[in-house]
Amino acid sequence: MKLKISLKHIATPTKIFMTVLIVLLAVLMLQGIIIQTERMFSRTKQFSAPAKDKEELTEEEKRIDRIRSSSKEFLPDGTIHLVHKPRRTPGRMDEPEIEQIYDANDNLLWKGTSDKRPYEYLSWANQLRRYGFTREQMKQMQMITPGFSRFIEIPIGSDDKTVQIWRYHPGAQYFKGYDINGEKIGYIGSTGFTNSKSKAKPFGKFRFFTAWCPQNSSNPILLWQTQRRIYQINFERQNVEMIFESTDSDIEIEKTSLHAWRDLKPGAEGSSDSKKYRPLLLCVTEDGKHHLILREPERQFSLAVPRSSATATKQGIFVHCSGSDALPPKGIANSRELYDKWLQERWGKPRNFWVELYKVDNQGGLELLNRYDWTLPPQSESVVRARDLRLAVQRYVSQFSPPLYDLIFHLLGVRFWSSAYYYQHRGDFFLDLIRTILDFRPYGGVINRVLSALMMGFAFLHGWPRRTSWAGFVFWLVFVGMFNLAGLLTYLALNNTAVIRCPACGKPRGLARVDCVRCRAELPAPERGKLDLIFST
Amino acid sequence: MRFSKLLRKELRECLPWMLLAAIVFFAFGGFFLRAEAYFESDRHYSRLSPGTAVDYYWLTYYSILNVTGPWLFFLSIGLGLVLGVRQFWIPNFTRTWPFLLHRSVSRKTILAAKLTATMIAFVISLGPVWVGLYWYASRPEVFAVPQTLRVFIEGWIFIMLGLVAYLGTALSALSTANWYTTKIFGLLLATVIIVTTLSQWTLAGIFTSIAVSVAILLVQIFDTFLRREF
Repeated sequence: MKLKISLKHIATPTKIFMTVLIVLLAVLMLQGIIIQTERMFSRTKQFSAPAKDKEELTEEEKRIDRIRSSSKEFLPDGTIHLVHKPRRTPGRMDEPEIEQIYDANDNLLWKGTSDKRPYEYLSWANQLRRYGFTREQMKQMQMITPGFSRFIEIPIGSDDKTVQIWRYHPGAQYFKGYDINGEKIGYIGSTGFTNSKSKAKPFGKFRFFTAWCPQNSSNPILLWQTQRRIYQINFERQNVEMIFESTDSDIEIEKTSLHAWRDLKPGAEGSSDSKKYRPLLLCVTEDGKHHLILREPERQFSLAVPRSSATATKQGIFVHCSGSDALPPKGIANSRELYDKWLQERWGKPRNFWVELYKVDNQGGLELLNRYDWTLPPQSESVVRARDLRLAVQRYVSQFSPPLYDLIFHLLGVRFWSSAYYYQHRGDFFLDLIRTILDFRPYGGVINRVLSALMMGFAFLHGWPRRTSWAGFVFWLVFVGMFNLAGLLTYLALNNTAVIRCPACGKPRGLARVDCVRCRAELPAPERGKLDLIFST
Repeated sequence: MRFSKLLRKELRECLPWMLLAAIVFFAFGGFFLRAEAYFESDRHYSRLSPGTAVDYYWLTYYSILNVTGPWLFFLSIGLGLVLGVRQFWIPNFTRTWPFLLHRSVSRKTILAAKLTATMIAFVISLGPVWVGLYWYASRPEVFAVPQTLRVFIEGWIFIMLGLVAYLGTALSALSTANWYTTKIFGLLLATVIIVTTLSQWTLAGIFTSIAVSVAILLVQIFDTFLRREF
């Protein structure tokens, strides 16, 4: 009996928790379905909005469209060219790809196929993210799918046979090596190779890696980025070199880029002319500093230029930056209200873009070599209308979300939510779920509060004749108020008992309580029947 | 004594399903693992050519035991569902609850016997086969690189997920609500937990979610079983 009573005190909260969790997920799914359905239709509308054919454009519009779609390239002396590739005739894949090169004053300089281009432009460092393995991918790899989790293994071969395998241990943050007979070789950590586990030092929190095979080997070299360091690991030579260390702030994962760093064969994807360019690594720390690490000879600079890329020829070091007033200011994505306000202010205004080329001197100072500006007209009305409809549907659907989401949003803070936004669509189940919740939070909407109040009113009317205790009654009213639709459904699922008319006062009363909540009359005893004779003996 | 008799009765009822799960897992898991051992020499290698960027896809590997993973996972979930239905749903349909409950033992003992029998069924049907396959895969003469301890633990996590499926089924079977209302919430919670578990990468997170879900389901099962009219 004691177990029954104590169980009841635990079982009721767990039942409420389970029910509200499932109902919340169901409501979230329903909201998602509505939003996605609407987006599907609004996208169709957006695409079907009448767009002008190329033939209908005026000469000025054609010029602006060409400037927009041209890539802006720099010569080593700072001259800028606009390289435009007109579209091929649809269905004519046999047509050669023609490019037109214009100068900054819009004069056509050259026209022909790209392989015969008479100019050699500067090539720039590419972001590693395009061909690397990120922290999110590491997390995905560790997820236990029905085929178990995966791990990173670096095979080291000799004479077309694998002779060693180095396996990364995410918990210990180092590599452990085995030979082909299953014997342990040793460990590779931040301090290099060691054959003792106690001497192996962890690399630190993993952020990113990329790998390549140098021209004289088929064994991979890894560029391994952690929270504050970048290492180059050569497994064949069992050697670890620390390339960069940031003492003040973390390295941004997205923005590390390389140029001519990897010893790739000419013509291979991502290769650069090693006779013309110096190996360069560009990384950005969270304090906004850009760090240039150079080889041949070794140099390191710290620069403060936003949205930039870099390159280093044998003659000089160049930095290329781009910008626009059509991009949202930094940090605005954290606040939907600010973003919406900024978007409204931006609509209907022309959009200004620019690119700049700087030369870096020996002290890391920047000298502006050239700048090119262009202006695009405001975005078309059809796009504006489609987006407005999407936002409106989302706003109304969000009104059925629990006001509790707003509270959680404020409690967790901007940093947490911006991280949830930042890692969207990268397979992180929990961050995706949190981001979805963030998308559906009611933003303190008046309709949401009114709906909550209406649902509380309904729960009040429903619960009044059925109440068994004041505490329980008040709890459920507050619960419905906090969880909105999900709260009401949970309340109904767990409290919907039968109601009869009280024989004493004639008003409705629940059957979960022996006396009437209004007149305190007890439930009437059943009338005596024939069977009562049996029970009375 | 009464408990052990009840336990034996429950185990007798579980036995065919335990044996079936163990035999299927041993036969198919063992066959595919043996086949994988045969092709082991092709596993890593020499897809990398000098002077080229390496796609990380070529550097990430599943454990050799991954061929047995889906068998263990689905058999465990299947065993959980079957045992849940056998122990809690069938007596509803055949109206045999009163025959079990009228014995001179408490309901608590009856329920404890059912739960213990299920746990034993899971451990002795899938557990030894999994340990055996892991041991086989870890022998250096079969696969040069030893299997990680994490894979071994993940196998046991699959077995625990079967237990979660069993508890969800049991709670749904015991619930007196209509099937279209909260009756299926036990099964839904089990599904949510299984999906959540398969979306996590830290063992601590996985064990926490399993422990919390087992606690939630167990408390409700005990409460419902001790209170409801049969």
